[in-house]
Amino acid sequence: MRILNLFVLFLAATIAGCDLYPQDDYEEFVVVEAYLVTDRALPLIFVSTTAPVTEEYSFENTGIPTADVRIHLMTGDENSAIEQTFTYEIGMDNVNQRINGVFAAVDAHDVLPMRTYQIDIRIDGREQITGFTTTPNRFQSTGVVPDNVVYQSEEQIEVGIPRSTGDRQNFFIFTTISLEPSEEQLTPIYADFFDPDEDELDEFIKTSSGIVNEGNFELNPDGTITLVYPWIAVAFYGENQIVTNIIDDNLFDFVRSESVQLGGSTLSPGEIPNLIYRLDNAIGVFGSIAADTIQTNVLRPEGF
Amino acid sequence: MRYKMFMGFVVLFLGCWTNYAQSQTASISGYITDSETGETLIGANIALIEINKGASSNTLGFYSIVNIQPGTYTLVCSYVGYDSFRKEVTLNPGDALRIEVELNPQGLLLDEVVVTSELEEEARKDIGSAQISTQLIKDLPTVFEADVFRSLQLLPGVKAASDFSSGLYIRGGGPDQTLILLDRTTVYNPSHFFGFFSTFNPDAIKDVQLFKGGYPAEFGGRLGSVLSIYNKDGNRNTTEGSVTVGMLASRASIEGPYKYGSYNFAIRRSTLEPLLAALRQNNDNIPSSFYFLDLNGKINFDAGQNDKFNLSFYSGNDVVNFPFADDADFNLNYGNQTLSSNWTHIFNERLFSNFVVTGARYFNFPELEFGGTPFERENNIWDFSVKGDLEYLPNDKHTVETGTWLGVMTLKLEDRFDNQDSFSSRIHARYGSWYLQDTWRPSERWKFVGGARLNYFSDGDYLRLEPRVSAEFKPTDRIRLQAAYGRYNQFLTLITNEAFSGFDVWLTSDEGVPPAYSDQFVIGTKTKPFTGYGFDVELYYRTMNDLFELDPFLPDAAGLPYDQIFRFGTGDAYGAEFFFEKQTGRFTGFIGYTLAYTWRKFLLYNNSIGDPDGGGRSFPPKYDRLNDINVVGSYRLSKKWKATVSFNYATGQAYTEPLGRYQLQDPVWTGEDFDVLTTGRINASRLPDYHRLDIAFSRYATFFGMGSAEWQFQIVNVYSRRNVWFYLFDFEDNPITRNEVNLLPILPTVSYTVNF
Repeated sequence: MRILNLFVLFLAATIAGCDLYPQDDYEEFVVVEAYLVTDRALPLIFVSTTAPVTEEYSFENTGIPTADVRIHLMTGDENSAIEQTFTYEIGMDNVNQRINGVFAAVDAHDVLPMRTYQIDIRIDGREQITGFTTTPNRFQSTGVVPDNVVYQSEEQIEVGIPRSTGDRQNFFIFTTISLEPSEEQLTPIYADFFDPDEDELDEFIKTSSGIVNEGNFELNPDGTITLVYPWIAVAFYGENQIVTNIIDDNLFDFVRSESVQLGGSTLSPGEIPNLIYRLDNAIGVFGSIAADTIQTNVLRPEGF
Repeated sequence: MRYKMFMGFVVLFLGCWTNYAQSQTASISGYITDSETGETLIGANIALIEINKGASSNTLGFYSIVNIQPGTYTLVCSYVGYDSFRKEVTLNPGDALRIEVELNPQGLLLDEVVVTSELEEEARKDIGSAQISTQLIKDLPTVFEADVFRSLQLLPGVKAASDFSSGLYIRGGGPDQTLILLDRTTVYNPSHFFGFFSTFNPDAIKDVQLFKGGYPAEFGGRLGSVLSIYNKDGNRNTTEGSVTVGMLASRASIEGPYKYGSYNFAIRRSTLEPLLAALRQNNDNIPSSFYFLDLNGKINFDAGQNDKFNLSFYSGNDVVNFPFADDADFNLNYGNQTLSSNWTHIFNERLFSNFVVTGARYFNFPELEFGGTPFERENNIWDFSVKGDLEYLPNDKHTVETGTWLGVMTLKLEDRFDNQDSFSSRIHARYGSWYLQDTWRPSERWKFVGGARLNYFSDGDYLRLEPRVSAEFKPTDRIRLQAAYGRYNQFLTLITNEAFSGFDVWLTSDEGVPPAYSDQFVIGTKTKPFTGYGFDVELYYRTMNDLFELDPFLPDAAGLPYDQIFRFGTGDAYGAEFFFEKQTGRFTGFIGYTLAYTWRKFLLYNNSIGDPDGGGRSFPPKYDRLNDINVVGSYRLSKKWKATVSFNYATGQAYTEPLGRYQLQDPVWTGEDFDVLTTGRINASRLPDYHRLDIAFSRYATFFGMGSAEWQFQIVNVYSRRNVWFYLFDFEDNPITRNEVNLLPILPTVSYTVNF
């Protein structure tokens, strides 16, 4: 009888009291943000910490004030030796005030294509932060970009892009930057979405696609692929820059996981995964990009 | 000649069970039908009282009792909702009597006490199986429209994802783990209004049989469960019909006899147009078109006493046209079509056969025109198959069943973005299976079912063997102890979202993508504590291995090898189900309680932030609910009034509580704010508990003397409990605010049905 009672007690405790899968407590992480762009100068590096979701957030308050920040150019892959080291110092604003969490390169260096870089951050009292990125190859868009195109005309903007080399296909993000933004210049669909009372026009100046695989495009005989730029990417009439970004694996993982964190995938509503991070002892992203920009003038069609 | 060779083979194959003494015994066989409509009754029990020897009718309403010693007996047949049938029969040596049993439906007498035999519902109470009557489906208060799936969600072990989803989450499995058959034909997306309703028109349905787990070798192809639905055959005696006008949908049906058999046709269409037109007066973003349409039909051809044919079809689709902004338009057309042709042949009282040719199609064609950029998808599944099943009774201790299912399926998915092909996939697979099963009753108290199913799937060249066994022991006439084990394979996976099922895509296993498999263990007891009451308990444990589902982090599948678009994982589920029911009298109903756990684990998913390359931690899916209680009661107040109540309480669903946040400062590729949350374990928090009370009143009347009529008044969520579906997090506020997205508020509905 005693055994039976114990069993019942155990069962009741299991059902009512014992949490098989408890909620974690908040844990603070260091957040690193840096993007190397092929053929451009070393970027700013942002180093901060997370904040509890219940508290007010500002980067100024979470930025790390002092840290030893470096970027190493490797001789080969991640396991190779360091070829060159670039040191960083705390960033300054326009009035020469230190900005917590922002670090600028001391040495001038243009990011090399198809090379592996390591980020190396040491913060007192925390473990060393490291991460690697291999930069995409530089590329130049081919084809003739018309000076003027009529919005939603049959003549769409076409961009020729060299195909990837090697086994890994390229992953693109396309960005459109309006150079003449104004409320009157909004294309119809963006004009419909824009609410002057709630929205800022700045939110529409720079629009970007999600990740687009190279596999979407047919290969041309000359070894390039041709992207026909969709009209949905154009938020404003007038001069627009179209940036083609080829992203590395770190950015690919970061962007794809961020895009579904709050829904939109096969995940159930309310199932919120963490992003995919490729840093040791920190979260955030140390990624790289190769980019090329074209410019054209998008004309308002008659009747719009 | 070939026929004789075939029969010779069958007899040779099965004859080892037959003993010489059979020639000195007798047998009884025939169909069990509704006396008013001629509709065959599935799972009715029939027995010879004096020797307690009996059988139950199979899915075609046929029964057979063999190896009966000559003599005079009382043949008794019973079925829930029908008066018992009794007949004295005298059997001589070698007799093979054909007795067609016609059961009379119970009247509407208030003080009626229904006599039930102790064998009643035996087949319906097999381990893992559950049944729900079409009348209960119609009586239950539901959101706007009687719904088969929402009625099934009241049974223990069956859960709903939300008020907005009719998807079946059975014993820890998702909707794709349940094989859904309509007249033996697979239905791939049985939903309307993006999952809000199931496609099955209750006017057209005769029988709903659910195998929640441990299902027999006759079925296969899904890890978890089987839902088998049969269309009505149609009234074989008189022509009759019904018209129901409801707030969301209206439906009509007609059935009747013709020279060679019977027919049944039903149509159902949503009737939202007036509501949409009214809403458009004051709102911009209202669909210009939004409806669903169902057509069901079945034609029976009774070629003779031993041969019956039928042709059954279903066609349903949803159409949406939604211009949701200037220069933005969304169109969707999706649906299912099924066609099956069935031949039932009775070779003799010992050998029964059924052959069916099936065709199924699922399609969805979404189109989005967005700022001059069109996106179009054509998603089609065609599935054609032939099935043959034989049931052989070599003696009164064995029932041998064997059958095969051969088919070809084509899954075609084509995407076009901005008028260019962006993705194309065509899977053309052949599948086949063969099963053999023996039900052995060594004594009145014991029953063993042993069998195996062999499955083949051509993509990846997979051959899988599935053993299935079950045992049942009856220590007393009121108690049945049961246990079952089975292995199950699944070659398909469903890409869907629990909030929205209009874009469902199915994918298959292939090279590098092995089929998922599951082992299921079930033990249970079915009891009859008092006459007219039932109390059942089942405990289950099931594994899920080699689960493959679309990688949720995959932004674009173009150019990727097939095996790289999936994530692979495992899972398990275990629980206890309790079911107490009152089956007869003025008050009927049941209480179902489920205590359940279910877990999933995928490689590299749900790792802690500090250990990103960990193997992945187990987590509960959103629909996991530890406690789930359903109370359903139906009370006949008078000859004219009937009340039905259902109440559900369930532990809050799982969700992920954000713990921390940060913001990127310079994401060079985008101008959007880039706010990121950090979380702990996936789905480690719980939404508030869910509870809801629904009531329905039915008033029976006549329609100007031309037929009967029924008013149905329903209130869903009587006390308007604002149950939470999920939380949204608003980054516009600092700190972030959490906003509830609620489920249905109180909803009164009314419908009117005329039967003629």
